[in-house]
This record gives sequence, structure tokens and C-alpha cells, in this order.
Amino acid sequence: MISSVRLKPLTWHPHIAPVELSEATTEQLDAMKVTPSAKKVSEYVRTLVHDPESYVARTVLFNAIMYVEGGLARPDRELGALGASIVNGCKFCAVVHARRHAELTNSDDLVTALYLDKPEALGPRDAAIYSLARRLSAAPSQATADDIASLRSVGMDDIEIIDLIHAISIFGWANRLMHVLGHAESG
Amino acid sequence: MIDAMDKAAGLSPDDALFSARRFRPEFVQGAEECLLSVLLPANDHGLAASLRVALARRMAALNADQALMVEYNAQLADLDPTEQLLALAQGATDLDEPLATIARHVDLITLTPNKAEASDITRLAQAGLNNPQIVALSELIAFVNFQTRVATGLRLMRSA
Repeated sequence: MISSVRLKPLTWHPHIAPVELSEATTEQLDAMKVTPSAKKVSEYVRTLVHDPESYVARTVLFNAIMYVEGGLARPDRELGALGASIVNGCKFCAVVHARRHAELTNSDDLVTALYLDKPEALGPRDAAIYSLARRLSAAPSQATADDIASLRSVGMDDIEIIDLIHAISIFGWANRLMHVLGHAESG
Repeated sequence: MIDAMDKAAGLSPDDALFSARRFRPEFVQGAEECLLSVLLPANDHGLAASLRVALARRMAALNADQALMVEYNAQLADLDPTEQLLALAQGATDLDEPLATIARHVDLITLTPNKAEASDITRLAQAGLNNPQIVALSELIAFVNFQTRVATGLRLMRSA
């Protein structure tokens, strides 16, 4: 019996100076009324708001993909996010979404299997989701029609598969911001 | 109405997948707004549309996305690009600065984001990019990598 992995949150610091609230323009202040996952105005938000237009557009889309009602179950979206974050090397995002998956499922089993690099321990549904997440993230050309067939064979409909493709792909975006513009530290 | 993602994925209004996509109007509208915010923003922070589209074309090729390469080639041709921008779009590395540094960064973050380091951002700053430009470039890179993955996923759904 392997002991379960419990991850602690990391903190993120930008490589460039974030916008100081006291120096923010009206457009930047308005932009920061929308935040990822409706969290506080973090250093990450203040870094991205150097370009308020792309910040607002992406944050609105991100929140829709991760939280919109119906369709793919929340833990499955988190698994897509986690698989992408592992491939893309974003430790900060991986820890956040591993913890959300564990909270939503009341179980550390999946996170333990992935952090101990034992994906063979996943059930068929999780395995099919994780496989597409890894391949589509590594390079779009690595994903195949067989990956979609695997999702259909575990009972996923087209709406759920479209939701999953978006959850994986939006982390192809988020990881390229968080892991590129800053670094994560323990504690 | 067919949008940029339908076009990239080869979807037409009589495809079942065209309708399935519209079960999520937030995603359809959101992806289009994001595209405008990185390719044709109201404030481009000094990174012209022709540079942005040339980089999008370069990244479409890095992701082996034929449909998006064709699309961005056509958009670039309409923007009267310089020889340097055409070379940048087509993957050249022997470019004038700051284009050479930008190209190196775009290739690195598109293909191997896990290898990104603080020094990569320092290089951009040393090549003369300011903080809004560094963020705008990062969002553009990240968007095209998002777009190629959604388009690929939709194409695979059609063929599976």
C-alpha cells in the first residue's frame, strides 16, 4: 500500500515588475475586476494587467471553461488541467489543480498515482482523459482519433469531449503564462 | 456564422460538431474575443499587427497546423509585410534584433514551455522589450498554442 500524496500550495513570483495598484490606469483597474477563479487580485493578475485587453478576454474565457454549468464534470476538467500542467512543466498550476481535483473527489488517489508516475493505476475514464491531456499538450500532432474513440468508449458525449479539449487547451495557454513569466516557491 | 475556430477546424454549419460547439456560446465568443485581443488589440503596445500575424504563422508551423498556416499566410499577405517579417513567419532564425530574440523565445515557449527560465525573460528585456510588450507577446504565444489545440481536437472529433 503506497501512502497518499498530499500537496501543499506553492507561491508564485513574477520575473517582471507587476503593475502597482497606485499607478494603475483606469483601464487596468477596470480589467482587474475580473480574476481567474474569482480569487483576489494577485501578483499574477497585476503582472498580466500590463496588457489589460488580453487579460480580460482570457480570464473571462478561462472562468467559463473551468466553471460553466453542465457538461463535463468539474473533476474531469481539473484532470485535463493537471495533465497539461505536468507536460508543460508548470509546477504551480499542477499543484493548484491537483489539490482541486482531490477536494472535488474527496480522494488523493488520482493525484497520488500521477505524482508517483503510476498512470496505470487510473481507472479507464481517468486514463482516457489523462492520455488526451498529455498528447494534445505535448504537441497537437501527437493526439489521434483513437484518443477521441477512447473517450467515447468510456461514455463521454460530444459536449463533454468539447469541454475537455477546452480545459486541456486553456492550460496550454495558462501554463505558458505562469511558468514563463514567473516562478513557484514552496511556502 | 462561421468563426475563426470553425475555419481552422474545417467546420461548416451543416456539421453536427458545428452545432455541438455552440452548446458553449461562452467558449465560441470567448475564443473570438481572445483572438482579437492578441492579434488586433486596440492598444498594440508597439507590437504591430503584421508582427503578431507573422509570429502566429510561425507558431502554426511549429504546431504542424496546415489550416492555420494557410490562414495566417493569407492574413500576413494583406498586411504588406517586410522581408524580415516574411522570413520571421517562415521560421528563419538569422534575423535583425529584436526579431531574432523574439523568434528564439517564441520557438522555445511553443515547443518546450517546460524549459522556460527567468533568463529567457531577461533576454527579451535586453532586446528592448518593455513589460507590457513582454506580457502581450506571452499572451500571443499562449493563444496560438491554445488555438492549435482546440482546432486539432475538433478535427479529431470529426474524423473519429
